[in-house]
Amino acid sequence: MKVCRRSFLSLIIGGAAGTALSPLPLKLMDDSSIWTQMWPWTPVPEDGEVSHVDSICTLCPGGCGITVRKVRSMIGDRAIKIEGMKGHPVNDGGICVLGLSGLQLLYGPTRVKTPLKRAGARGEGRWEKISWDEAIAEVVKKLGELREKGKSHTVACISGTDSGTTAHLLGRFLTVYGSPNFIRIPSIQDSYELTTYLMQGVQASVGFDVENSDFVLSFGSGLIEGWGSPVRMIKANSMWKERGKVVQIESRLSNTAAKADKWVAINPGTEAALALGIANVIIQESLYHNDFVNNYSSGFEEFKQIVLNEFSPDDVSEITGVSASTIESLAKSFAGASKPLAVCGRGQGETPGSLNEFMAVHALNALVGNINKKGGVCAVPYPDYIKWPEVEMDRTAANGMHKGRIDGAGSKKYPDTRYLLDRLPDAINSGEKYPIEALFVAGANPVYTIPDTKAVKEAFNRVPFVVSFSSYMDETAENADLILPNHVFLERYEDVPTPVGLQKPIIGLSKPVVKPQFNTKHLGDVILLMAKSFGGRIAEAFPWDSYEACLKKTLGNKWDGLVNNGFWADSNFRPAAWEGAFNTPSGKFEFVNKGRAESIKIEGDEQAYPLILMPYDSMRLASGFIGAPPFAIKTVEDTALKGKDIVVEINPKTTRGFVEGGYAILSTPKGQAKVRVHYFDGIMPGIVAIPRGLGHTAYDEYLADKGINFNELIGPVEDPVSGLNAAWGIRAKLIRA
Amino acid sequence: MSTLDDKSEETVEQVETTKSTGKEQKNGSWGIVLIFFVIGLVGSLAVGWWIFPKLLYSQKKQPIDFNHVIHVAAVEEGCESCHFFREDGSFSGVPKLAQCVDCHEEVMGEDPNEAKFVEEYVAKGNEVPWLVYSRQPDCVFFSHAVHVKMGKVDCVTCHGHIGESTHSRVYEENRLTGYSRDIWGKNIAGLKKNTWDRMKMDDCAECHAENKAVPKIVETLPWPISWMPRPYEKPASSQIKVHIEKDACFVCHK
Amino acid sequence: MEEHTKAKKYGMVIDLDKCTGCGACMAACMAENNVPFKKDESNKLDSITWMRVYKLTNGKKFPEAEICYIPRPCMHCEGDHGHAPCVSVCPAVATDYSHETGIVSQIYTRCFGCRYCMAACPYHARYFNWWDPVWPDGMEKYLSPNVSPRMRGVVEKCSFCFHRYQLAMNKAYVEGHRELKEDEYQTSCTQACPAGAIIFGDLNNPGHAVCQIAKPDHKHGGRPMNPNAFRLLERLGTNPKVYYLSSRRWVRRAGDNYIKDEGKQGNH
Repeated sequence: MKVCRRSFLSLIIGGAAGTALSPLPLKLMDDSSIWTQMWPWTPVPEDGEVSHVDSICTLCPGGCGITVRKVRSMIGDRAIKIEGMKGHPVNDGGICVLGLSGLQLLYGPTRVKTPLKRAGARGEGRWEKISWDEAIAEVVKKLGELREKGKSHTVACISGTDSGTTAHLLGRFLTVYGSPNFIRIPSIQDSYELTTYLMQGVQASVGFDVENSDFVLSFGSGLIEGWGSPVRMIKANSMWKERGKVVQIESRLSNTAAKADKWVAINPGTEAALALGIANVIIQESLYHNDFVNNYSSGFEEFKQIVLNEFSPDDVSEITGVSASTIESLAKSFAGASKPLAVCGRGQGETPGSLNEFMAVHALNALVGNINKKGGVCAVPYPDYIKWPEVEMDRTAANGMHKGRIDGAGSKKYPDTRYLLDRLPDAINSGEKYPIEALFVAGANPVYTIPDTKAVKEAFNRVPFVVSFSSYMDETAENADLILPNHVFLERYEDVPTPVGLQKPIIGLSKPVVKPQFNTKHLGDVILLMAKSFGGRIAEAFPWDSYEACLKKTLGNKWDGLVNNGFWADSNFRPAAWEGAFNTPSGKFEFVNKGRAESIKIEGDEQAYPLILMPYDSMRLASGFIGAPPFAIKTVEDTALKGKDIVVEINPKTTRGFVEGGYAILSTPKGQAKVRVHYFDGIMPGIVAIPRGLGHTAYDEYLADKGINFNELIGPVEDPVSGLNAAWGIRAKLIRA
Repeated sequence: MSTLDDKSEETVEQVETTKSTGKEQKNGSWGIVLIFFVIGLVGSLAVGWWIFPKLLYSQKKQPIDFNHVIHVAAVEEGCESCHFFREDGSFSGVPKLAQCVDCHEEVMGEDPNEAKFVEEYVAKGNEVPWLVYSRQPDCVFFSHAVHVKMGKVDCVTCHGHIGESTHSRVYEENRLTGYSRDIWGKNIAGLKKNTWDRMKMDDCAECHAENKAVPKIVETLPWPISWMPRPYEKPASSQIKVHIEKDACFVCHK
Repeated sequence: MEEHTKAKKYGMVIDLDKCTGCGACMAACMAENNVPFKKDESNKLDSITWMRVYKLTNGKKFPEAEICYIPRPCMHCEGDHGHAPCVSVCPAVATDYSHETGIVSQIYTRCFGCRYCMAACPYHARYFNWWDPVWPDGMEKYLSPNVSPRMRGVVEKCSFCFHRYQLAMNKAYVEGHRELKEDEYQTSCTQACPAGAIIFGDLNNPGHAVCQIAKPDHKHGGRPMNPNAFRLLERLGTNPKVYYLSSRRWVRRAGDNYIKDEGKQGNH
């Protein structure tokens, strides 16, 4: 049968009619519209029973309580949201950008998933996966060799903290092994502790009763930008809005300055002089606290002489650029307030700063008698729940411990300083003392956070054996030989003693919220395993089977309460009364003044570098050992980061030679970078401000290779008294690119 | 194209050579044309009604053949014994392993399905990957609480007599959308007899219109156009009354 | 079934004196609502931020310069009886105004991406998904089941965490009541804000804090009586449900477009 055209068309028409009479077109349209609305590659989050776990966030030293929402699903519990814990003494429900982004760190691509051993050259990024047994055996073998050769002191350990059981285990291990070189990451905590030690004679953490003070005089502290415990400070700031005043002394209109009741623009680096100028007015007009000054302090007369002779409002005005009348009115309102409080430490407080400045500011607190008082500054004793038996060192260990510290802390030059990490790169590079043969890094990212990145990297290259305990592939881990990844904070137990700046001792307990996602191990357990492998005195110093057992035993009867409430607070704590509060030789508060209150000279020649480069901190950018997660980076303004370029701020008065958003070359004696320029009227002419927390080379594509790390452009400046880094900026120049 | 051209040439030839019997031929060719029409019609109807559904849906077996009857008999509170409300107001849906383990820690009966369940899931602690017949797309928010607790709607109204089943029926998955056939309904034409036959948006709307569960009423166009994107303004009169008011999208969507 | 609940009008008050610009509200929103992120988020025009904190400056020179941060969620405009600018223009009824809660919804699967609503919204509160969301391998584990992830080609915006309302209602139903207490339904940003600058609640309920702050002055077009309170672009008549508080006049004036030297309005 021949198929004619008509037949063919008829077939088609018949087919069309039949199709129209069938459900096919309608159904297909319906289904394909559903398909296009819900592409198979759009994830469908699985629903399930919801539960909550209370824990503590340890992404910064703030110690906030968190409540993590979880949902039970086929693949086990998924953590889906981190929220602030209601009723927690630090943050009471509030939470910051970094804390909220914690789950991106837990589930993110930057995690180190298993122990890794370097396969290529340092920093090349080629790794070999090894088992935990191999990893620990490797470390123990290396340490054993060094110990045998009597070089145990050439092992150093950089730790993010020196409080809590994990840090204590680490320190204990180093001690029985025979190395004095346990080094904590520097911060204003160092300067504050030293200040209280020198002026009050006590070793304690410094607490600020910000909730109760009604007049806060801040010398450049980023009160609402991450200084102290960030969420707590922001909460306090809201209280001050209702009953209190804040004066911010800073050369840039930071958020703190913007929110303060008064912003005093000051020449950078002259804060100490202003503090003494204020002291001058207070003393001159007898506005000081008579009882405290007369009965509980010593050295006041000497202090008075210096202040009256050298820091008259006019002289100080000359130095600081703050008018004499402003100085006088500041002094009067400060001394006249019922609960005044003076604080210092620039920005988030990552740079320890000048000790003289800290002592000058602390002297102001003493003058108004707010030491250990409500609304004032108090010495908060370190929680003493870690009561382990004294370690018994063998001879090798004792010998090692007798060698001086590599960083010079506790030496004749800096007898009272405990840690001087900023001096470590130089000490290693100059080789003046002894070489470092092995370096351990835990809870820290020194390659990123220590000033003068070039020198830090050089120092790392000189250390033949670097071990990182980082959970993330950060800059330090990238430059290590061995990575023994720790659980992240949502997977592990950890005690968190009194957060920085809190005025009462508390202990928080960080709890595993989900089970470990990868083949990681708790740092505490790793230390115990290492100690066991050594045997002898070293093993004896660690009589616990696991970290959890150690923690439970250490916390004793506090454990149950901690598990249930998430924190333990000493409700009976009162700061020591003036009578007997001071442990100085005189038994009183000492108006010590070590050396002159000269401003710290920053690096660079004024002729070659006409401008001053200063960093600024933001709540939206993590600049510590944790890199900013994607959510945080997303909140960063385009006046700080544009594409892959960092944006620096200058005042239009400094120069009009740039296009807004245009490129420029920023150079300092330490290095240079291509930047974009943003004109900002809130910054003092002559200053270039650069955001901290960018310029990571490690981490994921959401963070890496964006902008430049400020630490590449600056080097440390040694404080003449403490040896701590007091660099508040560096000279710079900016030319059109 | 070439085949078409060939055909037309042939036709021209035919016309030329058979001039004398033209009329007869014409009638005959119309017959053939008709036959082709019927072939096309029947063929496409067969494809649309019979082959298409077979192609559209894949057949999947539940991991464990579940007997509802036995379970309902063994528990005290009917459906809610296993499918209950949690304290936070959410509905538990298909029970998790932990719940099953309450009874099935060890094998209790002789059913090989139970043995398999205990061996493969309870012993290993793995959740059973049940295929949920009533799983709605991700954009749907359905509150069991308001329907069951406030509206006093029976389970059967939407889920049918699943509680009386002794075996798990085959799960048919739409290859295009990935959802169960139960959403569109067993009937490929989308016709339904019972309230539980279909679970599309209009089925929700239909029930709401009848029960006037929500006071405000707005009209939608009748099926089959009703599921298409359309403005909800009030037009002509011939329309089904449905509760879904213009402002209510977020009630059932997320 | 006869028990009818009174209509709600959920709204927000943001105290700009307290807001520190820390950005927690933005991150809290992203974490709660499965908001995706891309490699580069510095082009703020295509960076999806349901809640966005803007920075205002008073335009003065150093050292008189001042800055103020202003968080901007969706304003959930009531317009004139529910005629929000975006709702009126949507050809797909993918967005609408709920008279029951006062919330402007957005149904992603219904939206076909014409972006009329974005053009209509004077607050730039709406964002378009130019790309499909991609979460790095493993990160999709933190996605919340309560908010469906969006797909390429649709518009999204702040929903006042409507799913939280739904969940709270579920709980209420199971407990046998239909009314929510103030603290039972709070948005993610409100809860997270460390400064306590955001307050959320029912503007129709005198027991709720927002209602007290936002009391309207009907003699003056319904703008709030509180001299520090204002709404963004008040004079457009969008009738937004987000109120701001500021003790600074220049901030209040920045909330609307004023002609230079224009009279007293900003004094309000």
